[in-house]
Amino acid sequence: MRRLFSTQWAPLLAATVLAGIVLGFATKQFGTAFNIYTILQTSAIYAAIGLAQMVVLAVADMSLAVGGIAGLVTIAVGGLYGVQHWPIGAAILAGVALGLACGLVNGLIIAGMDLSGFIVTLATGTAFTGIAYGATSSIPYSNIPSVLVSLGQGRVSFFSYLLVPAIAMTVAVGAGFRWLPIGRALLAVGGSREAALLSGISRERAIIVAHALSGLLAGIAAVMYIGVLESATPATGSEWLIISFAVPIIGGTALVGGEAPAAGCFVAAIVLAAINDVLIVLNVNTEAVQMAEGLLIFAAVISGKLGQSVGRPSLIGKKPLRTAGSGGA
Amino acid sequence: MRGVIGRSLGRLRDVLGSQTSALGLVLLIALAWTAFTTIGGSGFLGSFNLYSIGQLAARDAVLGMAQAMLVVVARMNLAVGGIGAVCTSLLGYLLVVAGAPLWLALPLVGVVGVLAALLMGFAELLTGLSSFVVTLAFLSVYSGGALLATGGRQFQITSPALTKLGNGTLLSPAICPLVAVAVACGVLCWLLYFRNSLGWKMLAVGANERAARASGVNLARVVLAAYALSGLLSAVAAIMNASYELNVNAGFGSDWLLPSFIAAVLGGVALTGGEVSVAGILLAALFYDSLQSGLTIINVPSYWIELPQGLVLLAAVLLDQARRRRARPREVAPPAGPATVAVPS
Repeated sequence: MRRLFSTQWAPLLAATVLAGIVLGFATKQFGTAFNIYTILQTSAIYAAIGLAQMVVLAVADMSLAVGGIAGLVTIAVGGLYGVQHWPIGAAILAGVALGLACGLVNGLIIAGMDLSGFIVTLATGTAFTGIAYGATSSIPYSNIPSVLVSLGQGRVSFFSYLLVPAIAMTVAVGAGFRWLPIGRALLAVGGSREAALLSGISRERAIIVAHALSGLLAGIAAVMYIGVLESATPATGSEWLIISFAVPIIGGTALVGGEAPAAGCFVAAIVLAAINDVLIVLNVNTEAVQMAEGLLIFAAVISGKLGQSVGRPSLIGKKPLRTAGSGGA
Repeated sequence: MRGVIGRSLGRLRDVLGSQTSALGLVLLIALAWTAFTTIGGSGFLGSFNLYSIGQLAARDAVLGMAQAMLVVVARMNLAVGGIGAVCTSLLGYLLVVAGAPLWLALPLVGVVGVLAALLMGFAELLTGLSSFVVTLAFLSVYSGGALLATGGRQFQITSPALTKLGNGTLLSPAICPLVAVAVACGVLCWLLYFRNSLGWKMLAVGANERAARASGVNLARVVLAAYALSGLLSAVAAIMNASYELNVNAGFGSDWLLPSFIAAVLGGVALTGGEVSVAGILLAALFYDSLQSGLTIINVPSYWIELPQGLVLLAAVLLDQARRRRARPREVAPPAGPATVAVPS
């Protein structure tokens, strides 16, 4: 219990819940079951997006392709179901597998060529988005299966059905990092490349696995989002870049790798969705949400930094793009 | 003596090395132009089309230089577009709403660009965070702030001088005056990197921060200067963009990240810092916008335009890395001892 409160996100959650209660009394709209459902629906999507980024941050890398993969998976599922008339289960499976494959491509290029994830995923993410736009001629698929719609928009009072996959993903990722050997290996590589190297864990393999997993999670996030939008559009994911970093960073993921607080991600997703909602309920411009996200990222990394104080030396902290062995010249 | 020879050999190799990449780009551009003329007809080389390529490439080249300023010191600036949004909005406000004269508005926009970037520089140095996360956070603060401050309104710029800059002609009807602006920025950047001690220090910091620090380089000052110049060039890019679009809003800059990196990386700026080619950046921007325009001329539908952008960047990154890997054993060449696994310090 003490550990629970010493985590970085605990005060954030407490403040949010408190603010939520105050707002619930102060305004009529905020406390309604429907509004809380809206917040939870958004947070489920945010959590999935954040997890897709977190698994790569855990190995001290990053992916700017989360949104691009999501766009591609979205139109794959929409197209296979709507045009090719695949059964929806098969279409979803194929879509998620495509996400995994995209992530795998990223991982193979990054590990194989010893490049930074930043520049590779900036390029591949653009390419994935480009394929999604090209393949659909920029026209969204509007024939969306009722299963996905009821997943995305269904609810029992305030409980959005999307929370089910979101919580399942959070638990699976959290448990995987804690108990599975591969999860521990990923964290070891993220924590210290030297130590991992000496203990025989291949950094290349960790990078490949992390990116593949990220693609898979981005694919699931995309499938979840199709029902929310009731449309399979290639534009899905185009606005996910900042949120994908905001969620894990605010959730307490160190940018230097070696940490994967899945539960923290989930809480951060709720916090961000709630802030989003509050600003809209209070009739503040939506642009303010974007600013708030930026400031929160900053606040979170700084507070994380202060909390860590003299932790281990940062690998990507100072020089994100320095690849191994480039110190010469 | 050996040191002197080694240094001049290294210098020669640097010059030749940067020229081979520039030469490669010239060939690439020639190839693309030939291909587009062959497939798409003479329209591609028509003065109207060349004019618009130059107009766009000029801005992208300056964006590439803005990005390169920080990439050279082994950092990056994700907020070029955020600063662009702030500067574009401010320019629109000053010229249209406040009715400020151009001689006052332009320097003010430049100063704001510098200050916006300096703020990020201070944030990075004070917190010790990576430039990635600092500039990512400021990207959303700046672009959100610009939208919030302007309420999404449009500014119709009518300044004749600015219109002439972005839509007039220079010497020939095929050349936009903005090309001269980009070339001038390029010359100034070249002078900075290769004829000025600040530029040398920036390259040194990028190549090896510790070594540079140990040899007496004031790291904070050099890094802040790099941020400031990156902000200034972002502001220049914003002014250039506004001068040809004229009807501007705070959404400007939202799509600048990709061209800024394409121009820098394709131009031969090492992502690990310490290496720059100004001619490369100019040529890379020219190639990038030739490709965009050419694909439209040969009737590639607009929704297929984004894929080649990603592929060009990917190809540039992979080729660059392959070249580096080939070059590295010769460059470093540990004379004796076991081959050790290189780990970042």
